Amino acid sequence: MSESRSSLSGALDISRRASLGVIAASAAGFALFGPRPRQDVPKDRIVLDYWEKWTGAEGLAMQRLVDRFNASQSEIFVRYLSIGSIDQKAMIAVAGRSPPDILGLWSFNIPSFAEAGALMPLDELAAKSGIASANYAQAVWPMLTHRDQLFSLISTCGTIALYINDDRLAEAGLADAPAPATIEELDALSEALIERRPTGDIEKLGFIHTDPGWWSWLWGYHFGGSLLDETTGTATANAPENVRAYEWVQSYPKTYGSRELIKFQSGVGFYGTAQAPFLTGRVGLTIQGPWMANLIQAFAPDLNYRVVPMPTISSIADPSRPVGLVDGDVLTIPAGAREPEASFAFIAWMQEQKQIEEIATAHAKNSPLTSVSDAFIAGHPNRGITAHNAIAASDRAFRFPKTRVWPRYVSEFDAAFQRLWLLQDEPASMLTSINARAQVALDQAAAMRARRHG
Amino acid sequence: MSAAGRSRFAGLLWVSPWLVGLCVFFLAPMGLGAYYSMTNYSMLEPPLWVGLDNYTSLLKDDVFKQAVLNTIIYAAFVIPLSVVLALAIAGLLDVDSRLSRLVRVLVFTPTVVPLVASAMIWLWLFNGDHGLINAFLHMIGISGPNWLGERGFAMGALVIMALWSIGQPVVIYLAALQDVPRELYEAGQLDGMGPIRRFVHVAMPSIAPAVFFNVIIQTITAWQVFAAPYIMTEGGPDRSTYFYSHYLYDNAFLFQRMGYASAMAWVQLMLIAVCILAIYAVTRKLWSTDT
Repeated sequence: MSESRSSLSGALDISRRASLGVIAASAAGFALFGPRPRQDVPKDRIVLDYWEKWTGAEGLAMQRLVDRFNASQSEIFVRYLSIGSIDQKAMIAVAGRSPPDILGLWSFNIPSFAEAGALMPLDELAAKSGIASANYAQAVWPMLTHRDQLFSLISTCGTIALYINDDRLAEAGLADAPAPATIEELDALSEALIERRPTGDIEKLGFIHTDPGWWSWLWGYHFGGSLLDETTGTATANAPENVRAYEWVQSYPKTYGSRELIKFQSGVGFYGTAQAPFLTGRVGLTIQGPWMANLIQAFAPDLNYRVVPMPTISSIADPSRPVGLVDGDVLTIPAGAREPEASFAFIAWMQEQKQIEEIATAHAKNSPLTSVSDAFIAGHPNRGITAHNAIAASDRAFRFPKTRVWPRYVSEFDAAFQRLWLLQDEPASMLTSINARAQVALDQAAAMRARRHG
Repeated sequence: MSAAGRSRFAGLLWVSPWLVGLCVFFLAPMGLGAYYSMTNYSMLEPPLWVGLDNYTSLLKDDVFKQAVLNTIIYAAFVIPLSVVLALAIAGLLDVDSRLSRLVRVLVFTPTVVPLVASAMIWLWLFNGDHGLINAFLHMIGISGPNWLGERGFAMGALVIMALWSIGQPVVIYLAALQDVPRELYEAGQLDGMGPIRRFVHVAMPSIAPAVFFNVIIQTITAWQVFAAPYIMTEGGPDRSTYFYSHYLYDNAFLFQRMGYASAMAWVQLMLIAVCILAIYAVTRKLWSTDT
């Protein structure tokens, strides 16, 4: 027994020494190789953490502005942090009650974050700084608000327009073809650009709704439709204008063959690469945002292209009032942020024309402001930037429907769109089914809102 | 403190990191998940008690039903096919030669390739226009489908991809086969059994525990399949490859329905448990019949 005790005691001694050794080694390792702040922070300033989604060149452009802000005054120091999947990370940070001081979100995040009380209303601070809706292009201000309260201000903004590859048009003998202003003209131009291989497979296309395939839900707006009555919270996916739009969408797989189009799509490269079909000419007409200029600059700098607003059906066509999606990156202050006034000082500084135009130029985006400088237009990397600006200024520009269930709504569209493209459903029944499911989601959200807020 | 007490204390001290980990990273999240599953919770606002509403909503959710059905179909193909294929490969590799050693390495290699890289490779292999698989089919006069773009083929493509990384079960079966006493094979041979009958009647009963283990692991893996379809098909076309874990993830992080996603997680746990119990019951019956 005593022998076993003694061996146990020996074992414990060794264990204790080993434990202490392991702890000491861990502590030394942490001290030597552990995390460190990435930049020196001035001691006498309010330090703000700014989470933003951009990395690479876009992130560097924002970092330059942050550095300039930090150098422009001596009270606030902003730390720029690039965060992937920022809305999800922000959600977790808010849940953990450790949000950043400034949060860069997408405009479609505003309804869900604002309704949940996760964002600070900015009306008062904006009024004090002289920031008002009149400063912003017509379609931009509504993007920043929710239920008549201001929850965000803009950082960058992009409108979606039609890009025309003029080299491809010239190759097809259509060098002098005017830009299409109506859906009917778009169809005609698209038809003239089709080129097939000897096997019958499609080699080149004019227009295709699935390139880049990011906005399966927006076609109805170009036929005079919309997806949500925001005042009543009613889904309007199956409105007659939308049905007509998706009949037009389905006319493409019906005409050219669903299988052929899917095969074509799988054979062209992805957006963001040198093989992007618009750059290689395999697609002659595509819808994109102004950032397309960065892609063209990187992979096809000699490409000849034009930018015009995406056409509408002829009955609502009006060149002075273009129709197009406007989307934005927004700056917000999360609820519970430590120094909201300091956070707002940075956001307000970012709203000045100089900063807004600098970041818009670096990101190849249009200006969200009413006043646009000549230098901005002249120095912009996108030769069609005026078309993008015109959409932002139009009273018929549209944005993501303002509802916190928008991600569910759009996921219904994405799934149903594939069914439509595969000719497995009719537009009317597809839209009725989307409408029913979207309405369930809207009603559930309304019921929960009523329970929470009365 | 008595020696026994000191010994118990020392033992607890040594396992305490694991115990803390178990409580903090496993039991507590499970308990919180159970609570959240009975709430409306977006993570942005406090949870609101809704009782069993999330569970009853699941029963009425067509997308949920489709995700369950897709996962069952996927599992129904992947599990038996991988058992048969892995056993066949292990049986063929159960010889000691230079070639078999090389083939073992080749069979196991896909297992160490990161899943995202595998998905990207298969994305191009299955490409409808330029993919190697269709190029091969074209050489033998078959017009290949748009593997990932057509309803009927997308699921098949994902099953094929899953079977590609079969190295792990092969290694386990091979180890089990090499543990089978050679005398049993010799006895079978003396009784006039051919190689296939020896494999079925001599080897199989001996490696049944390994098969059981692999089937359980693959059942769990199949119910949790996420990364490959998320990258390759994004659940499409028309949700034909929208699996359980993908829908759960979307609810949690895209639709901000953490309560609903928590209910889905608990149902997933129950479904996996039911599957394992069923496999266990069938296996026990088979073993008792053999005995």
